[in-house]
Order: sequence, then structure tokens, then C-alpha cells
Amino acid sequence: MITVKNIHKSFGNRRILNGVSFTAEQKKVTYIFGTSGGGKSTLLKAMVGALKPDDGQILFHDTDITGLHGRGLDPYRKKIGMLFQHGALINALSVGENVALPMRWHTTLDDNIIKIMVKMKLEMVGLRDFEDLLPNHLSGGMQKRVALARALALDPEVVFFDEPTSGLDPIMTSVITKLISDLNRLLGITCVVVTHAVEEAMKSADKIVILYMGKVLAEGTPQEIRQSADPLVQQFITGSPDGPISFSASSKDYREDLLVG
Amino acid sequence: MIKLFGYVGRMFFTFLQDLSSLTYLFGETVSQTVALFSDRTKFRKTNVLQAVDEVGTHSLPLVLIVTSLLGIALTVLISFQLKELGGLSYIPGFVSVAIFREMGPLITALIVAGRVGAAITARIGTMKVSEEILALETMAINPVRFLVVQRFIGLLIALPALTVLGSFTAVLGGFLFGSTRLGIRPDTYVRETLEVLSFTDVASGVVKATVFAMAIVMIGCYRGLVVEGSAEEVGKSTMISVVWSTLAIIILDTVMTTAFYG
Repeated sequence: MITVKNIHKSFGNRRILNGVSFTAEQKKVTYIFGTSGGGKSTLLKAMVGALKPDDGQILFHDTDITGLHGRGLDPYRKKIGMLFQHGALINALSVGENVALPMRWHTTLDDNIIKIMVKMKLEMVGLRDFEDLLPNHLSGGMQKRVALARALALDPEVVFFDEPTSGLDPIMTSVITKLISDLNRLLGITCVVVTHAVEEAMKSADKIVILYMGKVLAEGTPQEIRQSADPLVQQFITGSPDGPISFSASSKDYREDLLVG
Repeated sequence: MIKLFGYVGRMFFTFLQDLSSLTYLFGETVSQTVALFSDRTKFRKTNVLQAVDEVGTHSLPLVLIVTSLLGIALTVLISFQLKELGGLSYIPGFVSVAIFREMGPLITALIVAGRVGAAITARIGTMKVSEEILALETMAINPVRFLVVQRFIGLLIALPALTVLGSFTAVLGGFLFGSTRLGIRPDTYVRETLEVLSFTDVASGVVKATVFAMAIVMIGCYRGLVVEGSAEEVGKSTMISVVWSTLAIIILDTVMTTAFYG
């Protein structure tokens, strides 16, 4: 279980997260969505310990990971996996070597066993035949699947997904969404997914968290979210261009900006 | 005027910041390298030969061509002066000492800084931009151990070796010119060279090369790790990396030459 408590983060004068709190339940799938630039990726980076929030706590089984630094984070990181938006595979290593990497570094397993494990992990994402190729010989969707196999290498308790379906065709989007559900259902992995794909999320989430203006706008089961009376929430789930959420991201008054210069 | 002071002040401050970060990275690299050597299972996973090959072998042809031409040029230049004074027999010793102590290490390091240092920055910088380094961190893999240590060991072996080979080729270039164009007998040339050239000359060149290797690797890796943002930043950081290592090599060379022989 991961509990995010009152997280604040600013970059210069821009306040990205302004008191975000929610809980990602153990062995459940939590989807987080929000507007682009709304702090979703920042939140995810804070949750994997890649970024220190200015204030607040992130608790993983009662350990506050925001208080950990450098090697102190290693035990936590060995229990989590992260799927980056663009895969972030090591381009100099083959697909198989990428998946083997965490095992080579953190276990004393024999090379032959690692080879078998790599095949098993790749089979889970349907890419067993691609072991010897370099990542840049694969399509974007395939790279993401390899990255998922790598994230699963150490049998993590929690896997974080940063926009796992962005830039993918509809079929691949469904494939990845199903993979996430299967991981949760079959292996009991806690999944935290940041996404834009609202429809897919509504179908397969146990819990949904909507971020807006650096805060949690709504939190609940897909059913609860769908029945919300909040017009902001409704605009999010219907994806309507008209509504309380403005199209313009500028904060200054338009007329004043034009006239004063 | 105030603006100028502000500018110089900021530059000095940035310089100090970079220097302290570089020192930190160097410390971390050395401690990770020591840890690697004391842990045999991890050591097996670092392919030192591959690292030497990556940073060293491919520079060999360029180093050999440049140093042999340099050896000829140096001999021509010195002979032009010494011929007037009737001191042709001093040429072999003069040229070989100058090359092993100074020119060999310096030129080899400058070539490697332009070739390998730039490649290291570009490679690590691209990895930074494409979140590969962040991915390593979230997998609890220390980026310094994964990326810096093997290059550090690789260049620490490769640059002194390249320097000795380069210096030898430069002396050979001088020998060819001296024995064919200046009329010095080959056996006299070899004898003179061996008489003057001492083990200390060769050793000081190797010491210099070792220090240069550290500078090139640390600056190359550091400039790669600090890249933020876009591909444009990778290019800019690579350029800065080459400028810094060139300057560092020349400053370190002056310091060491003064310390050894001053």
C-alpha cells in the first residue's frame, strides 16, 4: 500500500503539486488522470523517489520514502518497477540484456537461469522472439512492452506506469491495458497508472484519482466517479472541450496582455 | 561595470560549483571502483576488456598517424637549428626526450579528449535526455557504477598504453627522417637515443597520461550527466566537455612538467 500525504512541489514560481493526498491500495489498480502539465508525471517521479517533494510524505508500508536518500532508497526500489513513458530502455543493450539487467545487478542467479527468466518475462509481454534485437529496432509499442518485462524482472510488489498507452494504436492500447489488469489479477501486483486514456481507465480501474491544478479533484471507484455531480469531474470523463476547465493555460488577462504589452 | 563584475562573479561561482560536483563525482567513481575490485562477483559483470576496446583501440590509428608525423616535424625543426651549430648527434636524444616527456602524452591526450571525451559526453547525455539514467536509478542501479566506472578503468589502461605507443611511433618517425635525410647512421641514432632516454622519461609520460585519462573521463562523464532537456543541450554539453578537457590537459601538463623538472 502506498499513501501519499499532502505532497507539495514547485519548480521556481510554478506550483505543480499543491497538497496531493490519496492512497493506492495493495493489490489494486489505481489510475491517476488529469490535464497535461497537471503534475501527474511529477507525482509519479516523487512516488519512485526520483524527485524530492518540497513538503509531505509518501508512505510505503509505513516507511516514508521522501526521507530516504541515495542508497537508502535501494531496498524500496528493488520492490517496485517503473514503466517509463517512452520505455527508457538502455539503447546500447539488446532486448534480452535490458530485461536481464536488474537480475544481473541484484541477484546472484546463474547466467543460465537468468536466460530462462528473461524468456519467461518476455513471453509475458508476447515478445520472446525479440531477445537479440536492439531496442531501436522495435516499434514504440514493442519497446513499452519490453520495458514492462524489465519492470517485472525482480517480481515487484508495485509497478508504476507513466502514460503506458500514449502514442499507441487502439489495439496496442487495449493490449497494454489488459496486460496491466492481468498483472494485477494473476500476480497480485499493485499498479499505479498515470494516463490520458480515460475510457480504458474507467473499464479496468479499481480506483481513480483525478488531479487538477495540483490537487486531488476526485477520488473513488469508476462507479463513484461516473456518478459525481461535480461538473469538473464530468468534463474529465467525457473529455468535453466545453466546461469549467479552460482551454487557455495562460493566467494573465488576455485583453490586458494585448494592450499593456 | 557593475554588470561586468556580476558576470565574472557568476562565472566564478558556477566554476566553483562545477569543480565541487566534479570532485564529488571523482570521489564516488574511485570508491565505486575500489568496491568493484573488492567484489569478485560484481567484477565479473564489468567487462574491462570491452571498456578498453571502446575507449582505446579505435583511437590507435589516429594516434599513430599524428604522432609519427609529429616526430618527423619535430626532428626537422630541431635539425634546422642544430645543423647550423654542428650538433646533429644531439638530435636523437633531444627528440626522444622531448617526445616521451612532453609531446607524446600531450598530443595523445588531446586526440583522445576530442575523440573519446566527446563521445562519452554525447553518449551519457543522450541517455540522460531519454530518461535511461532515471530508469537505472529506479532499478536501484548506481549510474556511476554502471556508466562511469568501466570507462574510468578503460581509459586508465588505454591512455597510458596509447601514449607509450604514440611516443614510440613519434621517435620512430624522427629516426626515419634522421637516418634517411640527415645522414645520421641508423645504429648511431638508436645508440644515442638509448643513451639519453631514461626510464624516468618514459615513466613521467605514463604518469602524465594517467592523470590526463582521469581528467578526460571525469569531465566527459560529468558533462554528460548534467545534460538537462533536449538534444540541443547534448551538443552544447559535448562542446563544453572538449573545451574543458583540452584546457584541463594543458593546465595539468604545465603543472606536472614544472613539478617534475622545474
